[in-house]
Amino acid sequence: MAKLIAGLGTSHVPSIAAALDKGLRDSDEWKPFFDGYTPAQEWVAAQKPDIAVVIFNDHGNAFFLDRVPTLALGVAEQYEPIDEGWGPRPVPVFEGAADFAWHLADQMVSRHFDPLICRELAVDHGMQVPMELVFGRPKAWPVKVVPILVNTIQYPIPTPQRMWELGQTLRAAIESWPTDDRVVVLGTGGLSHQLQGARAGYINPDEDRKWIADIGPNPQRYRDMTREDYVEVFGSEGAELIMWLVMRGCMDETVNTLHRHYFAPASMTGAGMVLLENA
Amino acid sequence: MPTVLLIPGLVSDEFVWAALTAAFPSVVADVTTQASIPDMARALLARHPGRLILAGHSMGGRVAMEMARMAPGRIAGMALLNTGMHPRREGEEAKRQAMIDLAHGQGMAALAAAWLPGMMNAETTPDPALMADLTAMVCRMTPDIHERQLRALLSRPDASATLAYKGPMLLIVGRQDQWSPVSQHQDIARLCPQARLEIIENAGHFAPVEQPTIVARLLADWAKDVAIVDAERDRIPETPLFDRPRSNTGYALNKMAMGLSTPEGRAAFLADESAYLDRFTLTPDQRAAVVTRDWAEMVRLGGNLFYILKISAVDPTPIRAIGAAQAGLSLDAFLETRLGKVTNG
Repeated sequence: MAKLIAGLGTSHVPSIAAALDKGLRDSDEWKPFFDGYTPAQEWVAAQKPDIAVVIFNDHGNAFFLDRVPTLALGVAEQYEPIDEGWGPRPVPVFEGAADFAWHLADQMVSRHFDPLICRELAVDHGMQVPMELVFGRPKAWPVKVVPILVNTIQYPIPTPQRMWELGQTLRAAIESWPTDDRVVVLGTGGLSHQLQGARAGYINPDEDRKWIADIGPNPQRYRDMTREDYVEVFGSEGAELIMWLVMRGCMDETVNTLHRHYFAPASMTGAGMVLLENA
Repeated sequence: MPTVLLIPGLVSDEFVWAALTAAFPSVVADVTTQASIPDMARALLARHPGRLILAGHSMGGRVAMEMARMAPGRIAGMALLNTGMHPRREGEEAKRQAMIDLAHGQGMAALAAAWLPGMMNAETTPDPALMADLTAMVCRMTPDIHERQLRALLSRPDASATLAYKGPMLLIVGRQDQWSPVSQHQDIARLCPQARLEIIENAGHFAPVEQPTIVARLLADWAKDVAIVDAERDRIPETPLFDRPRSNTGYALNKMAMGLSTPEGRAAFLADESAYLDRFTLTPDQRAAVVTRDWAEMVRLGGNLFYILKISAVDPTPIRAIGAAQAGLSLDAFLETRLGKVTNG
């Protein structure tokens, strides 16, 4: 059966993509941010995963408000980077793990998660940035991908509790997939930030650091928080952190936090990562 | 949208609210089973979840005030009609007891005949059809309900000591209300200066049925305004969640911005912004906000950053400048106070 080798939580701030595109990787402003990812990148590369399941939200690019899937699952053969207004970014096309994605669709629906199933889908920075942060800027991605998109824009967004349960379903799907595939799950978004309203620019580095420290060993508090709690503590767009719960929910109860990193602000966002391995 | 909850008074039911319920989505409360005003308030708060716009007539007004005392955070607005906030008065018990005895002894029709005339505008002869309808309403109740409600009134809390409601309030009273005169509503307005007082001409204590069209229109227009303001209320201060009202308000604005995610859309916008905007049914306010790149106003009018950000892709504005504009701060002050960045020079 396939094996879950790690869960990784990371921000997907678009300014990270812009910094990479402008060649600012090693600039004074950005070097400390990117350097913090290096140990996790090296660990993942050494583990040679075959598939990355990436949980993220579309930011008004693949989906408009005319139809808003609460959950969407990509089953495509490939995913192009989408035009977010500045033209598609020069990142490699993502090769889809289509067979596993269909297996996941079966497992999800039989366990009462009913996603929109996407046969064609272009992906925005929500997926691009985490892939770049974990795998760098290769000519071709070293893993196949399965995108899982969560609506975090149009209320009602799903509950944190539901995200955790989705993680458990994802775990069961991985462990019932009859291959030797090595799977890494990326929960993305956050950390604290707010783009809208008079509280725009809100960040909460103290709570971000707690999140990074506790999401591995003590996730219960974050399972118990309401959506509004997330907005209050982490900002209106910081509520994206519920997608890390999918990642955490697919891991064992006890995990080792292998690497962690925090940096604020990246543009207007608390940014960081955590790499978890089942204990 | 909050539930508009209509609370009838003594031995009254949905008949009192018929003109409003026919024109405006609303729910009539049942206060026939509880033995005290606080119990009525508790029961209604439990039975009708979420945000509430209350309208209480007579005794129902006292229930509304008690609900606002118990759960001020849930009350989006409160309309009080033909009511009062004072505690039990001297001699009140004996008069009430006589009515209790009358209902038990001679039935509800006799009670209606004795009680209703004093409730009506005394300056004209009451409309016989209306009196028949009101009598039928009283007869739908029982002597036990009547007694329970009167005893609840006799043991009522002194709302004048606790009325501290700060939200939208509408006071409606008939000019000829002898039972709960205009002055009682002026007393309430002194405690709640935000209240708007409407005096209905040619109406007594049953203003909602004596002047049904006028009262229903007042209530419906007021409730609509309260609902709009309530939709803009944010539980988390200065944090607009992109919920149904915002999504609906901003749909055309966001669709216009979404059109900029193709090279063709961007070229059209750059070539002739006005002609491009003409393709979408923006309100004049939304259009002005786009033209002036007023980001705070675009968000206020339902724009979601993820869509309207595409305008900044065509006409470059840094995201942090958009943040500063919404915060109402200069960019330097924004970076320093919100993001902890000290700017150089």
